[in-house]
Amino acid sequence: MSTLADRVTLPTAADPADGTSSDVVPSQIPADSTDGVGLIESNFDVEVKLGDLQNDTESPLYSVTSFEQLGLPKEIHDGLLAMNYKKPSKIQEKALPLMLANPPQNMIAQSQSGTGKTGAFVLTVLSRIDLKKPTQPQALVLAPSRELARQIQSVIQSIGQFCTDLIVEAAIPGNVSRETGVKASAVVGTPGTVMDLIRRRQFDVSQLKLLVIDEADNMLDQQGLGDQCVRVKSMLPKDIQILLFSATFPEKVMTYAERFAPNAHQMKLRQQELTVKGISQMYMDCPDENKKYDVLCKLYGLMTIGSSVIFVRTRDSANEIQRRMEADGHKVSALHGAFEGANRDALLDDFRSGRSKVLITTNVLARGIDVSSVSMVINYDIPMKGPGDREPDNETYLHRIGRTGRFGRVGVSISFVYDRKSFDALSQIANHYGIDLIQLSPDDWDVTEKKVKEVIKSSRAKPEYAPSAIKN
Amino acid sequence: MAGSSPARRSYNHAPSSPLSDILYGERNSEARHKQLLEAAKREHERVRKVALRALDDHQKALEEHQREEERRHILEQERREEERIRQERELAAERKRLHELQAQKVEIPPEPQPKPEPSKTAASQASTAPSTEPTPAASSNPFARSATSSQTSQQQQAVPPVQNTRSSGLGTQTTTQQHTASPFGQPNPQQNGRATSQATTSATPQVNQALPDRYEAIHANLKNLRRSMMQQAQHNPRLKERMGDMRREIRKCVGQLTHGVAAANRKQLNAISTVLRESLDGQVQSQMVDPSNLVLEPRQPVEGAAHNAELPSLFVYLLNIFAKAAISQFINEASAKPETADPVGVTVAAVFSQVEFLWRDKSLIDILLAKFRVVCPVVFGHFGNEKYEDGRRKLGWHKENGTWVSEQQHFDRMTGLGAGFAAISLRNFSKSTKKNPFPPSNYWTAMARIVNTPPANISNTQAIVLKAMIEHYEGKFLDAYGNAGLAALRLALVDFPVKCPTRTPATESLQVHAQLLKKETGLNLQ
Repeated sequence: MSTLADRVTLPTAADPADGTSSDVVPSQIPADSTDGVGLIESNFDVEVKLGDLQNDTESPLYSVTSFEQLGLPKEIHDGLLAMNYKKPSKIQEKALPLMLANPPQNMIAQSQSGTGKTGAFVLTVLSRIDLKKPTQPQALVLAPSRELARQIQSVIQSIGQFCTDLIVEAAIPGNVSRETGVKASAVVGTPGTVMDLIRRRQFDVSQLKLLVIDEADNMLDQQGLGDQCVRVKSMLPKDIQILLFSATFPEKVMTYAERFAPNAHQMKLRQQELTVKGISQMYMDCPDENKKYDVLCKLYGLMTIGSSVIFVRTRDSANEIQRRMEADGHKVSALHGAFEGANRDALLDDFRSGRSKVLITTNVLARGIDVSSVSMVINYDIPMKGPGDREPDNETYLHRIGRTGRFGRVGVSISFVYDRKSFDALSQIANHYGIDLIQLSPDDWDVTEKKVKEVIKSSRAKPEYAPSAIKN
Repeated sequence: MAGSSPARRSYNHAPSSPLSDILYGERNSEARHKQLLEAAKREHERVRKVALRALDDHQKALEEHQREEERRHILEQERREEERIRQERELAAERKRLHELQAQKVEIPPEPQPKPEPSKTAASQASTAPSTEPTPAASSNPFARSATSSQTSQQQQAVPPVQNTRSSGLGTQTTTQQHTASPFGQPNPQQNGRATSQATTSATPQVNQALPDRYEAIHANLKNLRRSMMQQAQHNPRLKERMGDMRREIRKCVGQLTHGVAAANRKQLNAISTVLRESLDGQVQSQMVDPSNLVLEPRQPVEGAAHNAELPSLFVYLLNIFAKAAISQFINEASAKPETADPVGVTVAAVFSQVEFLWRDKSLIDILLAKFRVVCPVVFGHFGNEKYEDGRRKLGWHKENGTWVSEQQHFDRMTGLGAGFAAISLRNFSKSTKKNPFPPSNYWTAMARIVNTPPANISNTQAIVLKAMIEHYEGKFLDAYGNAGLAALRLALVDFPVKCPTRTPATESLQVHAQLLKKETGLNLQ
């Protein structure tokens, strides 16, 4: 770990040096050495342009180090390889050395959706756990929904699949045995359930070393969850290391967060850097509300789509869309507040595993859910907040579209507008983040198909942004 | 290597049974030990001899095979030359007729000669162009055959040298094929301008990577076809109206395919077939085209075949769209979740094997393979250095708006395509009355080509494609190849990563996959 500690002082200083050494080219073409007659080949001996590589360094997914250089134990490294992780992303590269350094220090980290935040804190959790005490809780991760908690649990298990005696438990309603209580080294849960378990003395927190709060702005802001998080924290050891993660940290929550995790390292993004540039953001001008169904079904022929998520405002429209899409041959899961517990889990598992490829949902799943093959997000209704849904909900829009374009993949978001109100709301969101929304029209599908193709092509070529500031 | 000797059998030959062993008073005496040692030595000698004999047999068989292969190649060459001459004659006649028509054009004003001319030229160029890539059928059989021969000798796992000779033998064999293939290009009068440069290039072993191959020619022909369709649509309102909808219907259906539930995709398969059928039955008129531009090997009419003559261009175009949708699904979806490639592979095999969509009794899957050849050349035996522009081109590293896509994106693509290749080529048709359009021997060939790459030329791209080809398909591969498959898996997951010149996450993940197989299925490849 000493090498990691050394790194803390100069994580950025290492960049340029490594950057150039990583693309150092052997002076000879390999083909020569085997065949000895590669004469013609030397004409083609043009190394990849520096411009391409530099372009790369701007991306939040680019890093110059390897997981190996981060000094992770072999079991964890193997787990990463088995999951097809090849290189750390920017946030992993920058934040990990800080989070793993000793003595442990708090951290507030912001990075765009789908750039590896979960991976970053999961690696910290696995590195901090003493596997010789498999049933003694040592790390606690809090998430805002049961779905997200289960997802994080499964990521810890996957990356830790080669760690012997690793037990990860989800502290969500109906999951922890009342008789035995929590018997795991890593615990992932929702704040309410965790609080109950601690109060009932079914969760021994005495040796917890690490508290991670995912979707931290949401967790600290909302009255209910915020209170619960503070209460949970008050029951934990005083010297516990606290890590706060989110893609969004609105100003007012930030001050709160700084109090919650004092003296934290911080990685922040500017407002214009928040959107993932790889996601092509478009809107569809629908003639009226009733035409939205037909338009929706047509979208699936325009481009290659893996899985897709459709966000709607009400349960009724969720059910209606499900009916129409199933008639059109789609396999659909509709998930909203009407379902509970195990039912919700089963519906989402269908979608995760690919048995269904369309997920229709209300806001419950806007945040965090990572299904890597989602290539389209549809805002069937524009997200609104406030009394009477008067105000456009910027953060929710960002989190929703962040369900696609995971880890640098192609993603498309299409928002439906059909009247003045929806149009104005979407314009305000676009202004807030400085997004260029492309208009689509349902009049001539040949034309729309062509346009979508061009938009996807061009949005991939834009430079991306990296977290700009690290302050202590 | 102790673990890989045929232990069980040889120890059963020990002089005494376990029972008498226990009853025997002085079972730990020195004499007894010596006796046992002697027996073990004899047994060892016997196994060694059998192994050597097997090795010898195998080498003879291999040589024999290579001779045969060479003879076949020469015959093939002759045949192609004849074919070329015939086609050129036809072309000349065609040209002449065209000139006559053009001369007449003055008298009959608005009748411009439609598309067939340019694409025909391309086709005749293409079919005479060097087929530098050995055809799957030709090159795959020997791999399979040599595999079974070593399998029957029962020494396959016992004697690693046999394995090694086999693999290296195959490696050289592939290169000799490339050498013999390269001269094809020269006599082609269509390429006169390039004759000299070809003569030089053909001296290099890289020739098969430098010259466009037949698949690339097919790919170019498909592009022409697409252009022609757009032109046709301008003058044919009915075609314009339907073509876009048909295209989107196919793309939507391919996107809807799911895995994990049996028979879940029947509706989509039917919908795709319905669209294709509609394009065949003349409801939507389109020009006729000659599919020989789009197949790897020339075909003769077959009695009783559903189609022997030209086909509607709309049908071929839609097959092309279907192939494109499948590959795009691999790139965009299976890249993130490789399991999703499987239902797409099933559907590809099902569509291309349907009797009504065959041409001269064979599938038109070359349309899809031509595209595959462009996006994922490593499964066709191509390699290159990722640090160089030209190497990246050879590896199918994608460019977007003139710049290379990022490493992460490239690796994602290769993951999806590797899984897609396995999904198409490892289909089991033993219970079907139809003919497998792309049988597992193609998978074996592709794997052999990657595994037998000379160490200095191995790239991360190959390691990633190899892993993606194997992951989730171990079972199907072993079903098809049994013990030979096991040996191949060991070569791919144990030996291949070791011979890579540098250790990278990509090559290491092959080793980790071997560990994972052991952990989850108990399959020990070490």
